[in-house]
Amino acid sequence: MLYETYRGARRVIACSAQAEALGIAPGMPLAEAMAISTQPEAEVGSRKAESGKRKAESGRVECKVQSAKCKVQNENPVTSPNSSFIIHHSSFSPRPSPLTPFPSDPLADREALEELAAWCQQFSPIVGIEDSPLPESLLLDVTGLEHLFGGEGPLAQKIVDDFRTHRGLTVRVAIADTLGAAWAVARFCNSSLVVPPGQTLPALRGLPIEALRLPAQVVEMLHSLGVYRIGQLEPLPRAELAARFGASIALRWDQATGQAAEPIPASPLPAELQARESLEYPTARRDAVELVLQQLIGQVAQKLLGCGRGAMRLQCRLECSPNASRRENMPPTTRHPSPATNPSSPATRHPPPAVDLSVGLFEPTASAQHLFQLVRLQLERLSIPAPVVGISVEVSATAPLVCRQESLFADGPDRAPSGRAPSEGWSRSMVGWSRPRLLAGLVDRLASRLGRHCVLRPRLIPDAQPESAYQYEPLIANSPLSRRQRAGIRNNGQIPMTNDQGLKTDVPQSFGHWSLVIEPSPHSSFIIHHSSFPLRLFRSPLALSAMSVMPEGPPLRFSFRGQEHCTARAWGPERIETGWWRGRSIARDYYRIETTAGRRFWLFRRLNDGRWFLHGTFE
Amino acid sequence: MPLESQITPIEDTTSGPFRDRLVEALREQIAHWERARRPQEAPVSSGSKALDQLLPAGGFHRGTLVEWLAVGDGSGVETLALLAAREACREGGALIVLDRAGEFYPPAAVRLGIEPQGLIVVRVANEADHAWALDQVLRCPAVAAVVAWPQRLEAKTFRRLQLAAEQGGSLGLLVRPERVRNEPSWADVRLWVQPVTPFSRHGSGAGGEGALPSKHDVVVGRPRVACLHAAQPRVGMSATCSPDASRRESMPPGRLLRVQLLRSREGASGGSVEVEIGDETRTVHLAPQLARPAAHRRAAGA
Repeated sequence: MLYETYRGARRVIACSAQAEALGIAPGMPLAEAMAISTQPEAEVGSRKAESGKRKAESGRVECKVQSAKCKVQNENPVTSPNSSFIIHHSSFSPRPSPLTPFPSDPLADREALEELAAWCQQFSPIVGIEDSPLPESLLLDVTGLEHLFGGEGPLAQKIVDDFRTHRGLTVRVAIADTLGAAWAVARFCNSSLVVPPGQTLPALRGLPIEALRLPAQVVEMLHSLGVYRIGQLEPLPRAELAARFGASIALRWDQATGQAAEPIPASPLPAELQARESLEYPTARRDAVELVLQQLIGQVAQKLLGCGRGAMRLQCRLECSPNASRRENMPPTTRHPSPATNPSSPATRHPPPAVDLSVGLFEPTASAQHLFQLVRLQLERLSIPAPVVGISVEVSATAPLVCRQESLFADGPDRAPSGRAPSEGWSRSMVGWSRPRLLAGLVDRLASRLGRHCVLRPRLIPDAQPESAYQYEPLIANSPLSRRQRAGIRNNGQIPMTNDQGLKTDVPQSFGHWSLVIEPSPHSSFIIHHSSFPLRLFRSPLALSAMSVMPEGPPLRFSFRGQEHCTARAWGPERIETGWWRGRSIARDYYRIETTAGRRFWLFRRLNDGRWFLHGTFE
Repeated sequence: MPLESQITPIEDTTSGPFRDRLVEALREQIAHWERARRPQEAPVSSGSKALDQLLPAGGFHRGTLVEWLAVGDGSGVETLALLAAREACREGGALIVLDRAGEFYPPAAVRLGIEPQGLIVVRVANEADHAWALDQVLRCPAVAAVVAWPQRLEAKTFRRLQLAAEQGGSLGLLVRPERVRNEPSWADVRLWVQPVTPFSRHGSGAGGEGALPSKHDVVVGRPRVACLHAAQPRVGMSATCSPDASRRESMPPGRLLRVQLLRSREGASGGSVEVEIGDETRTVHLAPQLARPAAHRRAAGA
């Protein structure tokens, strides 16, 4: 059950068949619907079980989708190949439990529909989404395609079946001569229907007047005149109708009957951001592999530029020859001097069929050169277990490209205002404008070679326990945003970025917008202000051995890293105790210690057993 | 024909005044060339006026490397290096810390006054990665300062790093063990940092490691539990602070560090200065007692 809030009132705008069986109807106030749904369930138990079973089994998002499909059997195939297919898609509603109301989310509906449209590419090359504020139908041009599926009837059946098995959706399909007729049939007939060629008008006659896609006030006016069926319009004089009800009625009539052409508003398909090359003969030459990779990345970058997006993640796959498992088979030439040093690379004992490379980026880029550099940095450290037979490159996450006037200022950093030779030097002020881009490039390079988890930004957390007073976050985001984060973005009124798989990508802000996130603590009085922190903190405190301890005080002597230290001065203790609710409880007395040589250490005594640990050094 | 006459055929080079003039002129020329390699920018302060006075340039030049040598742990050398990095980042630009050991503690750096939004910590696993990352980072003009802990630097690598810094214009702060002090260096400035204790200052000057002083003051406050907000267990932690009476004792006073200029490309080296790092504010000021450089050179050699 979905509801919307309109002028403060919550109304049901869509509901499942199960809710309809209870008597809930769209337009009903939410409070009333909830009252109905919380009635004793015995009477509706059987129906509920029946309808809920399929959804529970599949465990997917339940959708109530009607679908329609239409095909135009055009009189003149050359001039108007106007066949279409409609999937009438009314609502999406995630259902953790029966009859839970959810706020309506038109944006999510639209996104889901776009994703379905891309999926429908398997049935027809031209797929569009109905041109209306709240689209519910998909339109497919199936002209000349029926022989591939064994006729229009089997095609319609295949679509219904595929939707049910692969997507878990119930759709209604109609095939008709015109887009308008298919839309009408799909909406207002109770089952999937193929309107035979030339039979459009007879099929339309019995349908209600709303099936003509007329504005609401026109429909209302016609109703008041006693016109309820499309057939009733037919004998009326056309000029009179247009004069009384506006031009839309004549246009819709013509569109439905095929006298006016109506193209399918096909949504531009996401460009295929991948490229593949098969090699004529297997090769293990790195320079050859790099050359092909460079070309492929160039192709992909061109596509990226074409749709104004930049890559956030690039994946390369080197397909290796499966039978060449022994190294003797490889050409002995030009092996890279330092291969196979990376322990994470696939072992050579079991040659895998493919080697995968993945490059994450700090800032979206469509620069082929930059992408190739990053890939090469990884390739250098990778051992190729067997000769490569094919190479493919795919951009798996994109984000809108930040526009820059690169061409105008291409040589900007070299142009010194003080008139020095261009190649000679640099200046902080010159660097200023291009700093985020330069830094992004650096971060990309570092992360590509060292790994995403090695390039970090610290985030301070007000926590008294020294180890948990900070966290590292990788600068290059990896995972798509979680559903909760997406909701947050949407509530903030921003349209989330979508990549080509419909996933959201986390677009990092530019460097200039970074801020240290100190989480607002509800108990700010508990931020303990240490007078100073040690600059080095061991990940796990080192147990101290061989020491002499003064009662009630820090050790007088201790050895650390093979060196004996004598305490000269000490300050403390500062006690840190965590509560039982934080897991393993921690109780420590911290001392700052200055040795006779002037070195300062941070020691603590574990209060549980009195053992001494070294936790950090004041470097 | 004697060699001298080939070079200066007119005058006798062994004569005192001429020789001095020649050396002076050559020195000026060298200084001129070295200056010409970098833009005429104001040097970056080291974070301490005393240290600035010690440095011939009055600070560090951007686009150069600075070596900080120290023995062992807990010497305070990284504090000085990070303070210089803080100054270098004042005009914007990132500070990159190449954390080899994984022990760098960002809250302490923030406490030193480093802007956390410009701080990037890069973890490197081995020496090869460290050298590569250092080169990359120094080469990037968006980076204002780099703090790194290279253990071994071959002359070739070192030279490459210096060129990288020169190209990128970032200040490379290399914290290194003291044992490399006799190795050749491509760094602009090489500094040796030693902690100063009251004992080492008044004593023989040898900085007696391990020798227990005759009179040491271990000031220990007795822990007194002050369980704040004990009624609200959801807080997550109860804190115990030393009571106010002993608070003065529990806060260590500022520490004294002796910084010796081992090498500088721009001027005479060998001077030393004592700086004090206040623990509360982390301001660095000149220690009241300036040590005689000669004595300290002896101490350093000891």
